[in-house]
Amino acid sequence: MKVEPFDTQRHMTFTRRAAVTVGGTFVLFGGIASRLYDLQVRRYDEYQAKAEDNRFKQRIVVPLRGEILDRYGEVVATNRQNFRVLLVPEDTKNVAESIALLEKYIPLTDGQRTQLLREVTEKRNQAFVPIEVMDNIDWEQFAAINVNGYDLPGIVSEVGDARYYPDGVAMAPVLGHVGSADAKDVKGAGDDRLLYLQPGFKLGKLGLEQTYEEELRGRAGSKTVEINAAGRVIEENDNRGHGAEQGSTLALTIDADLQRVTHQILSQDYKEYPEGTDGPGEVSASAVVLDVITGDVLVMASTPAFDPNAFARRVDRQTLRDLSQSPLKPMISKPLAGTYPPGSTFKLLTAIAAQEQGIGADTRFRCTGSFRYGTRRHGCWKRSGHGWVGMEESIKHSCDVYYYNLATRVDIDHVAEVARRFGLGQTYDLGIAGEMSGTVPDRAWKRAYYRTQPENQTWFPGETLSVSIGQGAVTSTPLQLAVMSARLATGVSVMPRLVRGVNDRLESIPAFPLATSDPAHLEVVRQGMDAVVNKWGTAARSSLMPDYRMAGKTGTSQVRSLKIDPETGKPVPNHELPWRERDHALFVSFAPFDNPRYACSVVVEHGGSGSKSAGPRARDIMRAVLEKDPANGARHPLWQPGQDPKRPRVAVADVKVG
Amino acid sequence: MSTILMPEKRLGVRGRLARFNLLLLLLLCAIAGVGVMTLYSVAQDSVGQGSWDPYASRHLMRFAVALVILAAIGVTPLRYWLSAAYPIYFAALILLLLVPIIGDMNNGARRWISLGGFQLQPSELMKIALVLALARYYHGLEFKKVSTILGLIPPMIMIAMPVGLVFLQPDLGTAILTALSGLVVVLLAGLSWRWVILGGISGLAGVVGAIQTGLLKPYQIERLTAFLDPTWDPLGANFHPNQSKIAIGSGGLDGKGFMEGTQSQLGFLPEKHTDFIFTIFGEEFGLIGTLGLLTLYFVTFFVGTRIALSAKSHFGRLVSMGVSLTLVMYVLINTGMVMGLAPVVGVPLPLVSYGGTVMLSMMGGFGLVMCTWVHRHQDTLRTPGWR
Repeated sequence: MKVEPFDTQRHMTFTRRAAVTVGGTFVLFGGIASRLYDLQVRRYDEYQAKAEDNRFKQRIVVPLRGEILDRYGEVVATNRQNFRVLLVPEDTKNVAESIALLEKYIPLTDGQRTQLLREVTEKRNQAFVPIEVMDNIDWEQFAAINVNGYDLPGIVSEVGDARYYPDGVAMAPVLGHVGSADAKDVKGAGDDRLLYLQPGFKLGKLGLEQTYEEELRGRAGSKTVEINAAGRVIEENDNRGHGAEQGSTLALTIDADLQRVTHQILSQDYKEYPEGTDGPGEVSASAVVLDVITGDVLVMASTPAFDPNAFARRVDRQTLRDLSQSPLKPMISKPLAGTYPPGSTFKLLTAIAAQEQGIGADTRFRCTGSFRYGTRRHGCWKRSGHGWVGMEESIKHSCDVYYYNLATRVDIDHVAEVARRFGLGQTYDLGIAGEMSGTVPDRAWKRAYYRTQPENQTWFPGETLSVSIGQGAVTSTPLQLAVMSARLATGVSVMPRLVRGVNDRLESIPAFPLATSDPAHLEVVRQGMDAVVNKWGTAARSSLMPDYRMAGKTGTSQVRSLKIDPETGKPVPNHELPWRERDHALFVSFAPFDNPRYACSVVVEHGGSGSKSAGPRARDIMRAVLEKDPANGARHPLWQPGQDPKRPRVAVADVKVG
Repeated sequence: MSTILMPEKRLGVRGRLARFNLLLLLLLCAIAGVGVMTLYSVAQDSVGQGSWDPYASRHLMRFAVALVILAAIGVTPLRYWLSAAYPIYFAALILLLLVPIIGDMNNGARRWISLGGFQLQPSELMKIALVLALARYYHGLEFKKVSTILGLIPPMIMIAMPVGLVFLQPDLGTAILTALSGLVVVLLAGLSWRWVILGGISGLAGVVGAIQTGLLKPYQIERLTAFLDPTWDPLGANFHPNQSKIAIGSGGLDGKGFMEGTQSQLGFLPEKHTDFIFTIFGEEFGLIGTLGLLTLYFVTFFVGTRIALSAKSHFGRLVSMGVSLTLVMYVLINTGMVMGLAPVVGVPLPLVSYGGTVMLSMMGGFGLVMCTWVHRHQDTLRTPGWR
């Protein structure tokens, strides 16, 4: 065997090196083998358990939210099957493309798209976790996605339960809305953190939904599901874990029917301004109707309001910004969060305060159209004057000068005390966050208000003049005005309530204390209110005669000092002012006059005049209320625990994606 | 020239075929068989019925084609391969250069080019071509020059060019593997240990430098750091190795049985038909199966080593040993990766993972091993101009 001599050395080296690699390889294979032994034999139990754990996951079952019923058992907030569309980023190569394809069936706004893409980026480390694209899609959209599922990579549709408000906008000021838990909610969730993170979970964000969150939420359940790594459920296993419990039923004092009617009436154009007058396009108004015997709030309406069903879907930032920045404040429940100078409606309280301080109802003053006090001249709304008027007539004609005269004779602290006794300057804790107390000014209030400016703390008699006609610092909410009319009508300190009870625990109505020591004082006021409406007073056009006898009082409260036209020397008419500078229109009323049962207050923001704008609306609301009154033939037994709620029959397709 | 046996060049094709190493063929078929079986299980549907579609049948078909290619390479005279070594290397290099120009983008990297309806991964071909070219180089180099600087510059350039191109694709795993398969040939050629140690230290410094200077992409660093701290980020960079460890570990001693793997069926494992196929096999066949498969690979490597040691030509020795070691490195890095012993760098399990180019390059490489076996008695390979 001939071997090339020069090859010998490298052949030997090669053989040695080959032997080294074989040895090295053998060692490394040994390492792999020992690792395999470690994984598959020594730690088998651990990995076996982890594999089981991988397959079976405890899933939280989101509880059904409790229903909310009106006083007759009609459902005003419920849950219904909804269809939603989710995106699983992992299942698509191109998220943007999938969204573009999806938009053929479900159009998204730019804001929604941006938000969705941001969420995909934020959660890219968990790309298998579904992200909600849109909640509450309608049946046709749901069907379209299912039919075209193969052409929509990463898009999944799902059936779940979602909050539904049959009355939509009309009930929004009372109920508020629900929404997904945001980062702040999750942070404060404590033990409920996992529940908060569930895709279908919603919690109350506003109104009663927010206040009664604990009662309405219910108890989360759990179930064991077999899932794959993509988080997709392969098999559900209901018998392991416990079921979810639906939240408690909330029974309201609200009459949904009247609430809808009132919402309609408030939104309507009552032609209070001449044709062609600029305005915000919508009426910004609120109304409260109380049962004067029980204090039940039958109606608490506010326009314009938001659509709570839209919040059960995905509300993009722009829409939310528009809603919260609108000058008409649709997100605010104006009946208890809006404060307005009560205007002439306050004269009822001044009249009572005067009588309690010994000024008889038969006291007469002469109105010449203005009242000189010190160096200042205070005008009456009627510049030609009312002549000699008594207390009852002063209410009927809403004579300002009469009350200026009273103001010089009564003590402001007493006026304030009467105002508070009749409902102003306090909150009633109805269960809606943001309830305002308004202001009832007196000496103590002024001291507290100017605590850093001792020179301004003195109360001037001139200020009493303003307060006596409901101007100046005095402010009130529509709810307080309704309570005031209820107390004037009955003479007892009626307390309003919005919730009858939770589940089977209905709360009883306590005996209310008397609001006055002398019923005769009230009688004068009531007679005056009757005259206002039914005896050609300031609200003659609001009379319900001959069908019903409603008593009321108009109020027109200035939001700025009187503007005088320099050319004519007369005040500029409201409709020539910018909307924000026009007077608020108010009206308080109760009915029937002989046997009061209902009190109603209406405030139309910048409505111009109480008699033209607020009065007619109150009249129409009161007519609807009285027509439903048991005494007038219509029988409506109150809902009792255990009875089946009345459910509206609504097709799924009713809710449109906006 | 040998006087004991008939010179190979006088044998016909049939005679050369008859000299094929049957044990090596059998081992390759057994490994590919494991691949077909596992791919059949991977593709099973929701009711647990295995499927030839889409992987197993094509895997089998490719293996059959690759066997023919192996035979064709095996019967070609070894000296032809010696002559063709550099042209093949440059062809592979040109294909690699074409990747960034006409390559297909996939998951942020260009690694593939389409050639007449076939998808080709030039980096896989390059591994064998590099071994071939280096063997060719050392075949003609005097031993005393191997450890000189002048003798070291050409192989280093030969290694650096393809490794650099693959790294830029970017494909860290294949770049490392390519570099390693080239370096083992240099080692086998007899590079002095001084150089080897020096090279090892500078290589380590190079990796650290690459991380420091930001040459590595963030996800590559993430995978490397995830490997060093496996508890970090269970759903991110470490999701693959953690889940694959669970799958393998839950297989136990004798496995859950063919087509009974729950982790694979439930989709916990990504790329289970390619880089992570070992986990499925490990889950279904347990320690007995995995050690069996490892044994198959090791015996294959051992047979390759024996062939290399039996060869009289330096070219044949280096090619056979280089190819066998490339196989071993694939296996070690892949299994180490799925068990959390090595970072996730995207290295397939040869002949078992689904993938045409790897199959082609691996079987082509073993064609050269087979060729060396057939022509083991030739020493100088009678190349004109060469001693």
